[in-house]
Amino acid sequence: MWERLASRLTISQWVAVVTVAVLLVLPLLLDPLPLRRIAGVVVLTLAVLGLVVATGYTGLISLGHGAFVGLGAFALASYVDVVGLPYAAALPATFVTCWAVGWVLGLPALRIKGIYLALITLGVGVVFPSLAKRFPALTGGVSGRAIDNTLEAPAWFGADNTITFRYYVCLAVCALLFLVTRNLLQSRIGRSMQAVRDDETSAAVFGVDLVATKTGAFALSAALAGMAGALQATLSPFVSHEQFTVFLSFRLYAAAVIGGAAYLVGAVYGVIALILVPFVNGLLGVLDNDVFVFGAGLILLTFVSPDGLAGLVRRWEQRRAAGEDGQDDGRDGGPTRPVSRGGGDGWGSGGGSELAGLPTPTRRFPDVTSGTSPPG
Amino acid sequence: MDLLLQRIFDALFNGAIYASLAVALVMIYRATGLLNFAQGELATFSAYVGFLLLTPPATAGVAGITLVGFLPGLPWPTPLAIAGAVLFGAMAGALTERVLIRPLEGRPDLPVVNVTIGLLIAVNALTVEFWGTQARLFPSPFPSGPDDFVPVGGSRLRIETIGVWITLLVLLGLLALLLYRSKVGLAFRAITGNRESAELCGVKVSRTLMVGWAIAAAIGALSAALVADAVLLEPFMMIRLLIFSFAAATIGGLDSPLGALVGGLVVALAQTLVPAYVPFISTDLALLPPLMVMAVVLVVRPTGLFGTRRVERV
Repeated sequence: MWERLASRLTISQWVAVVTVAVLLVLPLLLDPLPLRRIAGVVVLTLAVLGLVVATGYTGLISLGHGAFVGLGAFALASYVDVVGLPYAAALPATFVTCWAVGWVLGLPALRIKGIYLALITLGVGVVFPSLAKRFPALTGGVSGRAIDNTLEAPAWFGADNTITFRYYVCLAVCALLFLVTRNLLQSRIGRSMQAVRDDETSAAVFGVDLVATKTGAFALSAALAGMAGALQATLSPFVSHEQFTVFLSFRLYAAAVIGGAAYLVGAVYGVIALILVPFVNGLLGVLDNDVFVFGAGLILLTFVSPDGLAGLVRRWEQRRAAGEDGQDDGRDGGPTRPVSRGGGDGWGSGGGSELAGLPTPTRRFPDVTSGTSPPG
Repeated sequence: MDLLLQRIFDALFNGAIYASLAVALVMIYRATGLLNFAQGELATFSAYVGFLLLTPPATAGVAGITLVGFLPGLPWPTPLAIAGAVLFGAMAGALTERVLIRPLEGRPDLPVVNVTIGLLIAVNALTVEFWGTQARLFPSPFPSGPDDFVPVGGSRLRIETIGVWITLLVLLGLLALLLYRSKVGLAFRAITGNRESAELCGVKVSRTLMVGWAIAAAIGALSAALVADAVLLEPFMMIRLLIFSFAAATIGGLDSPLGALVGGLVVALAQTLVPAYVPFISTDLALLPPLMVMAVVLVVRPTGLFGTRRVERV
């Protein structure tokens, strides 16, 4: 039975299952402090997921997502301390706030195509720490500030397990948002985004609302990134502008592209890279600054596999499946499952695996359908 | 009034730097339709190479290895060291084109943009790795002491500013000569006009583009070396400058060198004057006004002030 189950799962699904399992038992394996440190990176999955939505699915390059992470952290801190909301209300409020800001910042995206938006967002990413310093009441100014109303474990959980409790809360929020985003990307909305990415003009001709799709995608992307920041602030209740420099944005962008921005599972691969690279670098002690690995990885992956690790894995799987074609025929949902089953596994955009994630300059008219419902 | 004049003079210095970087960006954009996000970082790295040439051989090295120890007569005088930096920049630019950009020819835009972003991250990390984050002194090739200025209407026009502007104008003149009076320039303009036709007419597109990248990177290295005295040489100095010059190029219209010049001035004036008269915008927020101008220009007039409108075929 296990063997049968094992061969039913694709590699991406295996990664997902193993990741979830490891994440669930992590508090049993680690002390609170390392747990908190790793969890702080794990929640960045949401920020990378935001880039998957914006860059991978919609073709909007953002080099300033670190700013949205910061915005989320400061917004949560303000809602909890200044407004006095409980966490159950502050987290959704943060989501809405970041959504709104992302929506406004996404407005130029209507007129501006890919590369200009990258410039604007890069500017936003660079200017954000300086801007944050100008609102000391909310952000603590130059030195940052500690959040007074922290999230404490309820009595039934055990009061001394605070970090573990926060960790599971973060995990739950991440899982929820991941599922919501997955479903959204598989719906008409997600297909509209891919159509916009592949060819704006054709998408508009086919009745896709460009304004709603692009601003909506950027707003969702910003809201997801903001939640990553809010969860970071929940985990370790201290916020400072220094945490959200443009280098965070670079890391996030590199992680998304390295993971595979055109695939939902790419966010998981990306965050695994965000966790493993500093760890391995710490073991080897080669570089003082592991950002280099992300830059070099971004370049390398562009040559080896432009749609990232997720694309690499997917192609390898397809080759393997093609190799054992015929034996798997009768099985529903086996490894030979065609890419194009939009509602299938939910782990890939399936935006035409060769071009996935790339705003293609090719203007072949009939191709617009392949953007919305790709061939297998 | 004197104060306003003084601020305009201060802005002129930055304006020249932004304009020259923007011209480099525009050059690459015109020929390839590509924005080089790594322009600034390659320039910083080149400036650090120039810095190596300014130090005595015993200390002129990275991580204990004397890379340039074989060169005679170290430390070199500033102009020579800057020339060294520019030469290194040109080689780095040509190498980038050959190794990283040319193999991606014919690919969609995003992978190529990703490569330049990756290069930005990697080169910046390398600079930090080699030289650390502390700021270094990089002397100006022009007299830049507190007394080196020309009094104009009660304000001080610094010799350094004049020097940078003369350099910029000479540079633009040389560039125009190269583009309009040389064979490489003719080939380059042919590629800018219509790449496929140029290729069919026997223009060696790849080689010409390599020259273009080399020149752009050399201009970048020169700007970095010239500005290093004012902002101090440190690994992150060009990230802000790059955004300013992106803003300059965008405001002027990405495919217009004249626009880049005007855009550089607009950006520098916005950067200097807005913080001076709007209390909320402190100097470390100086990035905000040019960014907003850029956003407004892009929304209202996406081709910039001097750019040409592109017609797209569906």
